[in-house]
Amino acid sequence: MTSRSEFSAQTLSVLAALSQQPSDWQHGYALAKLTGLKSGTLYPILIRLADRGLVEACWQDEPQPGRPRRHLYRLTAAGLASATGALASAAELAAARAGTRKVRAGRQPLPGGRRSLGGAMP
Amino acid sequence: MSGLKHWIAAVWAEAHEVPPGLPRLAWRAGGIWMLARETARPLRLTKAALFTAAAAVAAGAAWPMPGVGHAAVSRFHVIATILLLAGLPMLARRWAGPAAPSRAGRALRVCCWAALLAFLPALAVVEAFANLTPARPDFRRVFCGIQGCDGVPGRSTGGPPWAGEIVLLLLTIGYLGVVLYLTSRRSGISRSTLAIGTGTGLLLGLVMYAVAPLGLGNDATNPWLPGSAADPLVALAWILLAGGPAGAAWLANRRHRRAGGDRRADGDRRAGGGRPRAGFRIDQGIAAGLLATVTGALFVTALGTGTVALLLESAGLRHWLSPGQPLTAIATYRTEIYAGTNVFGYLLIWMSFPVIGLIAGATVASVFADSAPPEPNPAAVPGLPM
Repeated sequence: MTSRSEFSAQTLSVLAALSQQPSDWQHGYALAKLTGLKSGTLYPILIRLADRGLVEACWQDEPQPGRPRRHLYRLTAAGLASATGALASAAELAAARAGTRKVRAGRQPLPGGRRSLGGAMP
Repeated sequence: MSGLKHWIAAVWAEAHEVPPGLPRLAWRAGGIWMLARETARPLRLTKAALFTAAAAVAAGAAWPMPGVGHAAVSRFHVIATILLLAGLPMLARRWAGPAAPSRAGRALRVCCWAALLAFLPALAVVEAFANLTPARPDFRRVFCGIQGCDGVPGRSTGGPPWAGEIVLLLLTIGYLGVVLYLTSRRSGISRSTLAIGTGTGLLLGLVMYAVAPLGLGNDATNPWLPGSAADPLVALAWILLAGGPAGAAWLANRRHRRAGGDRRADGDRRAGGGRPRAGFRIDQGIAAGLLATVTGALFVTALGTGTVALLLESAGLRHWLSPGQPLTAIATYRTEIYAGTNVFGYLLIWMSFPVIGLIAGATVASVFADSAPPEPNPAAVPGLPM
């Protein structure tokens, strides 16, 4: 039995986006595009992850001219370990669910209301 | 808060990367939403502070005056109720998880706590009056047969028995337990069931209160209504009492008969999708029936006891409650005595309503548990042999 992940689906998507290139710093807007999350959802997740020490954040050293400095994010070592474990668990869970669905689909009622051919087989 | 400023600055800085127009506006609106959400995070502290303030006000108003005969019982009632209101949610959180993310559920919890806090001073006023020996000799001559006058004139003596107090506390524990469990995340009660049960309960409570705002009895019926047994509102109250929980159970059951059911209060769907199991639908029906009567009983008891307490305390309300009637002192006192005595009829509502809701909900949910929309046509399922 696969246990339920400690992270929500949205948090998992952020972790997945950050763990694609764990050593690189990423911007909020890039993460939003990768995950499809709105800023009002993405940033609270980043705050929680940063509070838990799973994500580190810093301000850009050299901003583009005429633009404010951007905030950058990447996974910490603990964050990477946690993300790897959580994503693996989520994948297992998804696979288990897909398996259950296949079994259920195989149990579609047969014409005549019968659920299996057991009784009809010699 | 400085940390939050830093995050807001981050959202704002990033907005320059977002395409101008609506997307950028949406990005900034998200930042404002984040600010609102993060500011509201210490809401638990705010809630605790609000509860403490409300509990202090209620306890102060309900605390028995010096010289009241039943001071020990009243003090015990105040302290025990506030301890229950403060402690049970913490216990319930460990046992049944946090509150479900349902507006109806949260509103029910808040209203339940507010009702029980308001009930404290209201009951204290009524109990003090019910055990009062009239100060005026002419009142004593007229009413001593009804109220008993073995105390000091003008003083409240005697009081509620300890056994009654224990029953009341047990009922309070039962109500709080039911509300906490049904509105908790782990109960599996869906948002629609919570909304159906609470809505039906509010309607039931409102009609019951309109029928009997001055206690449950024939002596002090609603002053605005004829008050006869055949009154349409009285008939509606009986119909709602019998049919409300059953109707709520049926609605909740029906709401979950579709494939995949409804979104549960915790936001998850029932595992595996497909048609919900019969047990789940029965649970929803029972919960809706029980919620309807529990909400109705809480509503009518808190409002009714409050109205009677105001009647006893406020001269203005007496005239408002009896429009166009000449209120002699003795007539007013008579109404107050009857209302004060009839309040204890609400105890009957407290005891009986949840039982009615449970039975009606369980019966209806069991009867309709197997009813389901027609199975999909096998011919329409690809891959199946014809």
